[in-house]
Amino acid sequence: MSAVTFRDIDRDDALGEAVERLYGCTRAGLLRRAAFGGAAAVLATLARPAASPAAVSDVDVLRFGLRFEQLQATFYTQAEEIGTIGAMPPAERRWAQTLGAHERAHVKIIKEVLGPKAEPAPAFDFGEANETPRAFIRTAVAMEDLTVALLGGVTPGVHDRGLTAALLGLLTVEARHAAWARHIAGADPAPRTEDAPMAIAAVQAAVDKTNFVVERPRMRGRSSPPFTG
Amino acid sequence: MRRRPALLAALACATAVALAAGAATSGGPGGPDHADPARALPAPVMPAFTPGEPVALPAERHVSRWAAVRRPAAARAAPDPSAAVVTRLELRTPEGTANPVAVLARRTGTDGRPWVRVGLAILPNGSAGWVPRTALGGYNAVRTRLDVDLRRLEATLTRRGRPVLRVPVGVGAPGWETPTGRFYVRNRLSRYRSPAYGPVAFGTSARSPAATGWPAGGFVGIHGTDRPDLIPGRVSHGCIRMRNADIRALARRMPVGTPVVIA
Repeated sequence: MSAVTFRDIDRDDALGEAVERLYGCTRAGLLRRAAFGGAAAVLATLARPAASPAAVSDVDVLRFGLRFEQLQATFYTQAEEIGTIGAMPPAERRWAQTLGAHERAHVKIIKEVLGPKAEPAPAFDFGEANETPRAFIRTAVAMEDLTVALLGGVTPGVHDRGLTAALLGLLTVEARHAAWARHIAGADPAPRTEDAPMAIAAVQAAVDKTNFVVERPRMRGRSSPPFTG
Repeated sequence: MRRRPALLAALACATAVALAAGAATSGGPGGPDHADPARALPAPVMPAFTPGEPVALPAERHVSRWAAVRRPAAARAAPDPSAAVVTRLELRTPEGTANPVAVLARRTGTDGRPWVRVGLAILPNGSAGWVPRTALGGYNAVRTRLDVDLRRLEATLTRRGRPVLRVPVGVGAPGWETPTGRFYVRNRLSRYRSPAYGPVAFGTSARSPAATGWPAGGFVGIHGTDRPDLIPGRVSHGCIRMRNADIRALARRMPVGTPVVIA
């Protein structure tokens, strides 16, 4: 069984550098060495104290969930559109296309549920992470594991029982995604006897430091046109 | 370890007794329902929402991609760090906006890293070069295209292959011909104080070989005018002029990154 490390999936070293900035070299070194099977758990131990569950409303949870699903959906969609997924063998292609289709369905339903409270999708820049099948698969493993940890972290704090049930439905599917992704990556599909939960703040910090979420480039200006007229 | 079979046997007996007692108290078929422990369990909570069917990607033929330059880099003749430099990509356009490039192709370079072939806003028109993927920001997709017909003096905007706007245009006068080829929209300017350019002006990647001495090097724009009476006509220094109502209509429909085909 090959050990997948954050270093493998983090070619630009975004996660490693982020953790280094947050916690210093020792912890960053720990994260880089951590076998991927324990990566989410390691990240969870690095999480800063989270806000109390009462401080996070159900709408907050859904909004963050939407943002995270948009991140995943765009990651898979873009990889399919630019041809990365098309260059994979059939079994891997079916996996990637299935996960993309699921994540797009998740985005659709959460947007519908939030209605006008849904915020516009941010801009994403995945850099090299979805340019090659190898980088794509390893980043997918990280994302799916992180999603499981996120849903495990937020679901118990949700106030509405119906919403809790809905998030559990997503959690089990995301856990299947994670196991499938790990299988595709040649990693252990079920490396632990339990999955450690992560608070929103910890997931946010991990995502922020990947630099996958970016500001939209400014394409409009007010300068006098210097064009040929 | 020898005690385990005995323990299991005792557990099985206890379970059987409990089940028998439960059947007796419920009175079997027709007995009171509330006494059945299985029936007394709460029903599953209905989820507040359930996602629909997986959403497959539609097959699209009319998609073009662009990306803004994320860090200054050399555009090279091949996906190779030692290949000849075609030009240098800067972060900003002369107009101060982010600098977009058309994404034409992708390939793994000789260094084992992903490279992207991009359309360049340099002379000769139609130039392209390779840059490391890390030099660019996120990919953006557009489904629009602007065709400028120099013979008919007409511009047509299509979305997903279907015409959505067709307007008359003014193009380059003799000696200042509007260059032909495939270009892209680089930025959008408005609220400036130059009535000759109308209310909105789009910068393009097209360059006029006859106007290299022009400010910023002779980029061809698509803009409004204060002389609508000259449209349609061959009246400009290479730019594509539209009546102000038409450029406003175009501005509502044409995003940055849209391919511009001039023929």
